[in-house]
Amino acid sequence: MHGRVKLKSTAQQEEEKRKEREKKLKAFVSTRDAVLKKRSAGEQDEEALHLTQLLLSSNPDIATLWNYRREVLLHLETLREKDEVQKLYECELHFIEVCLKVNPKSYGCWHHRTWVNTRLPRPDWTRELGLCDRCLGLDERNFHCWDYRRTVVKESGVSVEQDLEFTERLIGSNFSNYSSWHYRSTLLPRLRPPPPPDSAPDTSPAPSASPQVHSHRVCEEQLLKEYELAHNAFFTDPNDQSAWFYYRWLLGRAEREEMISCVYISREGERVSVAFSKPVHALAVGLMLVLDGQPQRVEWRCAHPRFRHSPVWLCDLPPGSISDMSNEHNLTVHWTEKHTHRDCALYTGCAESWCRDSATDQELFRSELSVEKSSVLQAELESCNQLLELEPQNKWCLLTIILLMRALDPLGHEKETLAHFQSLKEVDPMRSSYYSDLCSKFLIENTILKMEYAEVRVFSLSNKNLTTLCHLDQLLLVTHINLSSNQLVRLPPQFAMLQCLEVLEADDNAIESLEGLYHLPKLEEVSLKNNHICKLSDLESLASCIKLARLDLRGNPVHKTANIESEISQLLPLVTALSL
Amino acid sequence: MGTQVKDVIIKPDSPNTLLLDKHADYIAAYGSKKDDYEYTLSEYLRMSGIYWGLTVMDLMGQLSRMNREEIIDFIKSCQHDCGGISASIGHDPHLLYTLSAVQILSLYDCINVIDVDKVVDYVRGLQQEDGSFAGDKWGEIDTRFSFCAVATLALLGKMDAIKMDKAVEFVLSCMNFDGGFGCRPGSESHAGQIYCCTGFLSVTGQLHQVNADLLGWWLCERQLPSGGLNGRPEKLPDVCYSWWVLASLKIIGRIHWIDKAKLRNFILACQDEETGGFADRPGDMVDPFHTLFGVAGLSLLGDEQIKPVNPVFCMPEDVLQRIGLQPDLLS
Repeated sequence: MHGRVKLKSTAQQEEEKRKEREKKLKAFVSTRDAVLKKRSAGEQDEEALHLTQLLLSSNPDIATLWNYRREVLLHLETLREKDEVQKLYECELHFIEVCLKVNPKSYGCWHHRTWVNTRLPRPDWTRELGLCDRCLGLDERNFHCWDYRRTVVKESGVSVEQDLEFTERLIGSNFSNYSSWHYRSTLLPRLRPPPPPDSAPDTSPAPSASPQVHSHRVCEEQLLKEYELAHNAFFTDPNDQSAWFYYRWLLGRAEREEMISCVYISREGERVSVAFSKPVHALAVGLMLVLDGQPQRVEWRCAHPRFRHSPVWLCDLPPGSISDMSNEHNLTVHWTEKHTHRDCALYTGCAESWCRDSATDQELFRSELSVEKSSVLQAELESCNQLLELEPQNKWCLLTIILLMRALDPLGHEKETLAHFQSLKEVDPMRSSYYSDLCSKFLIENTILKMEYAEVRVFSLSNKNLTTLCHLDQLLLVTHINLSSNQLVRLPPQFAMLQCLEVLEADDNAIESLEGLYHLPKLEEVSLKNNHICKLSDLESLASCIKLARLDLRGNPVHKTANIESEISQLLPLVTALSL
Repeated sequence: MGTQVKDVIIKPDSPNTLLLDKHADYIAAYGSKKDDYEYTLSEYLRMSGIYWGLTVMDLMGQLSRMNREEIIDFIKSCQHDCGGISASIGHDPHLLYTLSAVQILSLYDCINVIDVDKVVDYVRGLQQEDGSFAGDKWGEIDTRFSFCAVATLALLGKMDAIKMDKAVEFVLSCMNFDGGFGCRPGSESHAGQIYCCTGFLSVTGQLHQVNADLLGWWLCERQLPSGGLNGRPEKLPDVCYSWWVLASLKIIGRIHWIDKAKLRNFILACQDEETGGFADRPGDMVDPFHTLFGVAGLSLLGDEQIKPVNPVFCMPEDVLQRIGLQPDLLS
């Protein structure tokens, strides 16, 4: 029951209403009973159509009555000539239209109409298209009608081109029509797909067969037109979200290529870690490991048992296979499902080795941002900046500017980006946590980029108001991490992907949970001063980090626990330097 | 052509405390007025109505006030030869009501009063070549029914009865440019549908396929200045959408992206102080549907007077723990 305002009424009005309802109820119950009786007696005749019509015309949601009608219609079909059948179903279409006027959002009505069209000897798709136009004229957001229209369009041979014009007309008459923008997003990739990648003819699946239809992109020429359409909309009404959502999609691009992004091998522990460009299930994707030409039987495991799918998978090599420093080894990991692999050589005298993509910002983080020529993006940025001058409080514009800056030069624009995030939190405080998390994500991306350029294995991001951690799969090789003086509340299970981590500093946060400090084989030193670790049980996962020797827990509520020192030394016997 | 934000204004004298006792009385009385006009006209969805009423009573710790035996007998009489369950006697079986019935029997811990194997056969029989599910034998396809199918099977512990890869593939084919989901491939994103699809992906262990940051943004943009959430852009706020958006955000680990205090105020303002129960918006007529989603929403927001609710099944967590079901949530 939606949108029925509760009215105050007098006792007399109440009484009148009660009487009227009683009358209606009686009529309803007697007709319903008559219908049920007829149906159980197996009667399939005109009277059944008449009685169900009486009920459905005021209550079109009663699915069972539509079912009964279909049974009757199917029966009558067998008794009549083709022309009569045509008439029978045309009457039915007329009746459905009456019901749609009562409730234009009735699932049952729209489904029945689809069904009737499959039974009509000569369906009239032009008339159906007309019905959709009228219905969308009354409510341009009626998704039932949009869905029905799609089936009509398919049957009636309306071209994608014509359909695109249709959305343009609707958007032109009202920019605030999210349904039309949505529909455009489904049409464009069909009409103007980007040119196929030249190198790999076998990697572009047929659009209809792929579950990732949504990620199919649009060619550049069309994109420019779309940018303009969106501009027109948000310059006309900068507070209408529809065009902004659409614009953010336009700025996006296809998913990252599926590949093994990194293989890491360590003599100590004789361990292999493999990172993928997306979360996978190692057992399901057919992962094969070959050491010096010999396929190995290994057991793959996730970095943390919470995950079934993960971008990082680990395994132990058979004991003794790579422990001798004087031997050189060649390792290959095959991702059989994707026909791809990655080699990694471990040279004499080396304790560890890795092989990965020399990551660039494009490859790493722009998967949600554009590959368009930077001159185009630069022009887009300028026009959004113009709009911001007119509308300095406009959150949509601020967010879009941030996204454009990231697409152009994430490091060069870092300072301005942070300032815009600050403004966003002020103009849209309801979503400040969203902006904080997004800002954290961008800062982490920037820090990873800087680390890559400097070719170091140290990740330092302190005093930046970080509220969340992400991209931890990119930190597989990091040995030292400094996250102090942020607003983190947890080290999430994904933290267990930092397989090379030796030193962790995370002082002065609000960390309550250390779930992610789990089986980190090289972790020696952890500093967690001034956090919110309360219970001894919060430290349990640390027991799985077998090299942990130094632990600083000063300024945490846990120190109030009775006998805490002896409890910790029992839980973590290898920790030699404990500060409480 | 400036668009005005569609929203409601919460009056200063709107309820701002939770009136649990009144809500329990409202639900307890609702089912006893069997010759009531509203009650009779809602017969075609009775099974879901009972699920809404019982679940909200259980969340409020008042399940014992409902007539267990009568309800169980009613459910038994609604199972058909095909195995499917109908909304009421005289109505046809459908996945929607099959799920509701299985949810009710799970609350009551007596799933075996119906023929469980036949329910499983019924659900399996409705899966189509492309992995989608029809709601019943008349063939309407909708991602809602994909959710009904896997939620029913999960509660029965029979997830292996259907072609799971195909089922997942179909739901993913309904993902849109904004990260949301619609009824069928190409359909516009809608919060109710997003709830069904994220719930489906949770039950089937496939949440990593969701673009959580993009979808989370769309979902948190459903919050309006009144604090209430709408189901699509440029629509009015509604208590039931508050649940669907909130539960979806919880499932994808982004519930902190909305302003919880403002949403709580909105939900509380939708209570009727006289009759008990929640309406879609402040000042409208109450019903059991919005009463469940109001209370369940407050539970997800952390209200400690209410039992913790599971965001995927919209059932009390203790019931799911008893069954041993722990659907995935993103962190």
